[in-house]
Amino acid sequence: MTKYIVRRLLGTVPVLIGVSIVVFVFIRLLPGDPATAILGQHATAQRIAEMREFLGLDKPIWEQYLIYVTTLLGGDFGRSIINGQPILTEFLTRMPATIELTAGAMVFAAGLGIPLGRFAAKRAQKWQDGSITVLSLVGISIPVFVLGLTLQYIFAVQLGWLPATGRIDARTALELQSNFVLIDVWLQPDWTFEEKLSAFLDGISHLILPAIALGSIPLAIITRITRASVIDVSNDDYVRTARAKGLSERRIDGRHVMRNAWLPVVTVLGLQVGGLLAGAVITETVFAWNGVGRWIVEAIGNRDYFIVQSTILIFALIFLVVNLAVDVMYAFINPRIRYA
Amino acid sequence: MALLSVQDLVVRFRTHEGTIHAVNGVTFELDEGETLGIVGESGCGKSVTSLALMRLLPKPAGRIEGGTIRFDGQDLLAYSESEMRDLRGREVAMIFQDPMTSLNPVLTVEEQMVETIQAHRTISKEDARARAIELLAMVGMPQPETRLKAYPHQFSGGMRQRVMIAMALALAPKLLIADEPTTALDVTIQAQVLELLKRLTDDTGTAAILITHDLGVVAGMTQRINVMYAGFIVESATTAELFATPAHPYTVGLLHSVPRLDAEEGSELIPIEGTPPDQRQAPVGCPFAPRCAWRLPTCWESNPPLAPIRVGEAVVLTGAGATHRIACYNPPTHEEAVAGRPLRPGFKAAQPPGSVTEALAGMPDELAEPGEWYAEGGDVEFLPGQGPTTATGGAAGLPISPDDDDR
Amino acid sequence: MAAPSIAVTRVAPRASHGLWGDAFRRLLRNRPAMVGALLIVAFLLVAVFAPVLAPYPPNESFPPPAGETSQKLGPWPPSAAHPFGQDKQGRDELSRVMYGATVSLLAGLSSVIVGVTLGGLIGAVAGAAGGKVDSLLMRCVDVLLAMPGILLAIGIVTFLGQGLWQITIAVAITNAPIFARLLRGGLLSVRESDYVLASRSIGASRTRLLTRHMLPNSLTPIIVAATLALATAIIDIAGLGFLGLGPPDPRTPEWGTMLTDSREFLRSAAYLIFFPGLAIVITAVGFNLLGDGLRESLDPRLKR
Repeated sequence: MTKYIVRRLLGTVPVLIGVSIVVFVFIRLLPGDPATAILGQHATAQRIAEMREFLGLDKPIWEQYLIYVTTLLGGDFGRSIINGQPILTEFLTRMPATIELTAGAMVFAAGLGIPLGRFAAKRAQKWQDGSITVLSLVGISIPVFVLGLTLQYIFAVQLGWLPATGRIDARTALELQSNFVLIDVWLQPDWTFEEKLSAFLDGISHLILPAIALGSIPLAIITRITRASVIDVSNDDYVRTARAKGLSERRIDGRHVMRNAWLPVVTVLGLQVGGLLAGAVITETVFAWNGVGRWIVEAIGNRDYFIVQSTILIFALIFLVVNLAVDVMYAFINPRIRYA
Repeated sequence: MALLSVQDLVVRFRTHEGTIHAVNGVTFELDEGETLGIVGESGCGKSVTSLALMRLLPKPAGRIEGGTIRFDGQDLLAYSESEMRDLRGREVAMIFQDPMTSLNPVLTVEEQMVETIQAHRTISKEDARARAIELLAMVGMPQPETRLKAYPHQFSGGMRQRVMIAMALALAPKLLIADEPTTALDVTIQAQVLELLKRLTDDTGTAAILITHDLGVVAGMTQRINVMYAGFIVESATTAELFATPAHPYTVGLLHSVPRLDAEEGSELIPIEGTPPDQRQAPVGCPFAPRCAWRLPTCWESNPPLAPIRVGEAVVLTGAGATHRIACYNPPTHEEAVAGRPLRPGFKAAQPPGSVTEALAGMPDELAEPGEWYAEGGDVEFLPGQGPTTATGGAAGLPISPDDDDR
Repeated sequence: MAAPSIAVTRVAPRASHGLWGDAFRRLLRNRPAMVGALLIVAFLLVAVFAPVLAPYPPNESFPPPAGETSQKLGPWPPSAAHPFGQDKQGRDELSRVMYGATVSLLAGLSSVIVGVTLGGLIGAVAGAAGGKVDSLLMRCVDVLLAMPGILLAIGIVTFLGQGLWQITIAVAITNAPIFARLLRGGLLSVRESDYVLASRSIGASRTRLLTRHMLPNSLTPIIVAATLALATAIIDIAGLGFLGLGPPDPRTPEWGTMLTDSREFLRSAAYLIFFPGLAIVITAVGFNLLGDGLRESLDPRLKR
């Protein structure tokens, strides 16, 4: 088991190095002189010289890369070209919003997708199964921004049930501490419990639409994989053995089918994290959600290359770590690997 | 009264490809403590019959569409699902072909054994565990206490099947159904597992149905044998009588397609030509007719009933005096059975009715002559249901053939 | 008693028309796939014949519907003359959506073609060479896959700059790893499989082996994946357009860009959101349905 984790961990390292090379290359290959490209034509000669110095452009390319990696390892992701703020600080301030959004989307996708998939599998080839299959196909086909705008129009504009944008009512004087709105409301020192609760519910109501918009594609994928997995496992010999032993259907379902059906679902859950992080970029733009995604879009508009570069790197790191964790979990719930 | 009584059992599968006539009116009985072998090629309905007994046919395609199943005097087809559940594992237990896939890979042997016991008895986990250890010891598992904690993939094939057997016998069932219990195992392990099964059923007085494609497996194991073909029982006799005087052309063919060390002089290795019939059509005529060397014109048109071989004899279904019955209009004589082919001068298997030849003519060449490949090649090693010819003598001087798929 | 013509219980197996023939027959019987094909045909017709089918040129401003007195150019709600309404410059939304199909088709198709070629090349080289080359190339593929979906595309676009062909290339590169893995996996599994071994042992030539056995068997998943990738490509291209990375020329009727341009009118003119959005969804549903159907019909084992 430990050997497996170590091996898996070591396998991640070259990929991470590869990603760092790619984002490194992005900047060095900018047309013309990278320093000028980054700062724009109107930058002062002194700033361009500083930038050349920071990038180490006069050194050989491999040395430039080493310098880049060394500064990264030192926790220095560079500064915003526009306002000079350290990127890592800004990233950490904004990441909680993105985590709240993606977690909400994941809860929605897995919380609904797994039961739906099980239900569809149980009604395999019947109309319920057919409808769920069609719905999940449509779910995969609706882009986040189309669904987001539609949800906004229906539930915010027309029905007025839920807020269209933002993370919490703008009039709430929330003092941010952890930057997780749903946590910070409980940390306000001079609020009564009722105030905290109503602010919390307000935060939840802001989260619902973006989480649904972002979670719909993972929902469709999780539903499909759960359905397929449950159907697959239900045809396995040991399920027949369990029936032949006289076990109740509930026990067969919960213990024999689901324990095995979980395995592919868990893997897919991990892979969805990548899609969620990428989807968050668009979702945050639609819902004016002040997270990393919106930040990166602004940065693209401003040609603030270091922000784009660093965010891609950190997102890739998160994605790799999550999948590593999922693999370890997979190994843990699958004795065939645990005792391999 | 018989422990198990199956009357005119009909099982069909309704699939997208059409209806599959898997079992077409099967009748047999089993006394307490008796052992019965059901033998036939894959697809002959032997496994379907056993699943039907447990009412475990794959849903929703498989259905029991006729007949009755009585167990211990009770009509199983009238049982509710929860009554069936109570019966399964407790009164009737089952062992399946592949112990690798038949045990749940993510549960320990302990979990799987304890849940079986607890499903039917109000018993503490500790007591159930103690019983599981006892059972594992009974099937010859070394260090049962520690092995209990292991997962199926940590056992060898033979040991896994021992676990299956222990689990099946956990509640001292009255009937044990073993569906190809040794097919997936190495040749050397097969004999051990069969020996264990025989010893345990003898010791406990459990009645057993042993399903196999291999006559060698049932030879020393069972008291009686039903030979099945295309969903029909084509021959039924005590084991001794079946081997001494096989009377159905299919049984004769089965015996002759296995190389025997004790082969009588004049007998030769004769493969059964062709393949079993497509069961998507309701059978008309004898299902074996297309492959039969003894067929008469009438065999193409009507299906012979299962009747005593000695005309007029009263039918006894169970026990050592069970009547030898066959479903055949033109059974081979003893000499022919020994030779494996018709010996009557001038006898030729009846040609199919005219339209059939036309139907065959419309098919691509390789399909028109189904038996050609086997017949010309004459190469025993490629016959279905048969492995290399190196097997040594089995229980009753018969070879034990390993399965065709080499694992 | 029975008619002699049915005296034989054995029926001939259904006649086979080869891998592709059988697959095509199964596809025709697959109702969802046929619905998808219908949607795609409609999309293709509109995309190819937009100049003929569209009622107006995409960039001409029209006067407001009768009775409107406001001085603004638009947007105007659907009317008899402009069934999808008019955008903020008074242009005919229906015509723009129809011309948008052309843009979407060209961009989507080229990005998938580039992606398949690029990924296919990597996969074929990796699968054929094996050893160190294989593991190096596959590591590169892992690297690309670690930057999920649109994120990599965003990175590429910041590097290439905004524009239609830039986002097309960006989406192509994000799709390439899928095809690289598919082709390599297909080649490897086929190379090791029994039937190639069997063909080789009876002396089949290398070319015959490749064209008759290895390619068809590793191509089928590629065809399926390419169809499904068209759906994602069209969505991703529109998504990048929505983020403002699409064609900088505001006259190009790109669906995603049209959406982002109309966002400010979500309250007042939701029809400007609805129709381009619907066009994207219908196209994606079409390719997804067909792709699923293809997968089912090309893989006989999936037959129910």
